[in-house]
Amino acid sequence: MNQSAFAHALLDAARPVPDGLVAWNGSRVDLRFAVYRNNVVASLTDALTDAYPVVQRLVGATFFRAMAHEWLVDHPPRSPVLAQYGEGFAAFIAGFAPAASVPYLSDVARLEWAYVQSFHAADATPLAPAALAPALAAPELLPALRVALHPSVRTLASDYAIVSLWGAHQAERIDALPDPNRAEAALLLRPALLVHVVAIDAGTHALVCALQRGAPLGEAAQAGADADTGFDLMQALAVLIRYQAFREIRP
Amino acid sequence: MNRTSTTAALALALGAALATATLPAAAGEEAANEKCFGVAMKGKNDCKAGAGTSCAATSTRDYQGNAWKYVPAGTCEQMPSPTSPTGFGQLAAFEEKQG
Repeated sequence: MNQSAFAHALLDAARPVPDGLVAWNGSRVDLRFAVYRNNVVASLTDALTDAYPVVQRLVGATFFRAMAHEWLVDHPPRSPVLAQYGEGFAAFIAGFAPAASVPYLSDVARLEWAYVQSFHAADATPLAPAALAPALAAPELLPALRVALHPSVRTLASDYAIVSLWGAHQAERIDALPDPNRAEAALLLRPALLVHVVAIDAGTHALVCALQRGAPLGEAAQAGADADTGFDLMQALAVLIRYQAFREIRP
Repeated sequence: MNRTSTTAALALALGAALATATLPAAAGEEAANEKCFGVAMKGKNDCKAGAGTSCAATSTRDYQGNAWKYVPAGTCEQMPSPTSPTGFGQLAAFEEKQG
């Protein structure tokens, strides 16, 4: 028996109990190994529940735990940091046939994963809005301005109302569900202690994506206009300033 | 957009954006909340950090003195807390008084 065979047998109950196990008191090793198996699966399922609480609320605990089990047997943690466990679960949900009747489920899962990433991103002091004012003194330099975003900034776009759905499930009681069939994009960031989840339009989403790629401000503004005919650059910048999405600017 | 109009549009938009967003709501929102110890019901404490950090919703007793919840700023020390020596929520963890 080697360590890898032992680990695989832990997650896959169809595999035989590893050879060479002994119990200190001579009790049945298959039963004791079954307890170990059960605890591993239960703790990983709990970890996924912690990372994807809204997904669980959307489908219920029974369905969620069954779906989580399907995924986790093939995806043991690759890091000892359990907070980083669960990457890729959204992609699995997208192809999980029993969940097909909830078409927005995988995008809500993507948003929840972005939340975890944003929460655990490096701390950084956001750029004070006043630090942007000097850039206005030399407007001819604005298009070439490089804007570094806060390290916690994450974005995603969906054909469904993921921000509204996520927001509705933050309350303990849900009175009315928003119409899911409305495209929404999300901006997530953690300028201080709390993660903000903000609904943004397609143009703002394109602008932030361009800035994340390292495009200068002028090119990013153009990307916003290309993505959305009604793009309002002023509103987009105001949202980014209000939520402190900028880390630094350089000419 | 050609380069000149991009420059003008950017300058206008950034100027207006700064004017509307000079009071950052995000900072305001955080300042508008405070961590309040000793007021959360069992299992309803805040702290959302993903898996493995297991602090949210882990308090095991009502009004646990080292479990906190975000509440609007200024209201914490007016919230009744039967376990608190002051009788109200506190801004730092406290030793629960014996029942």
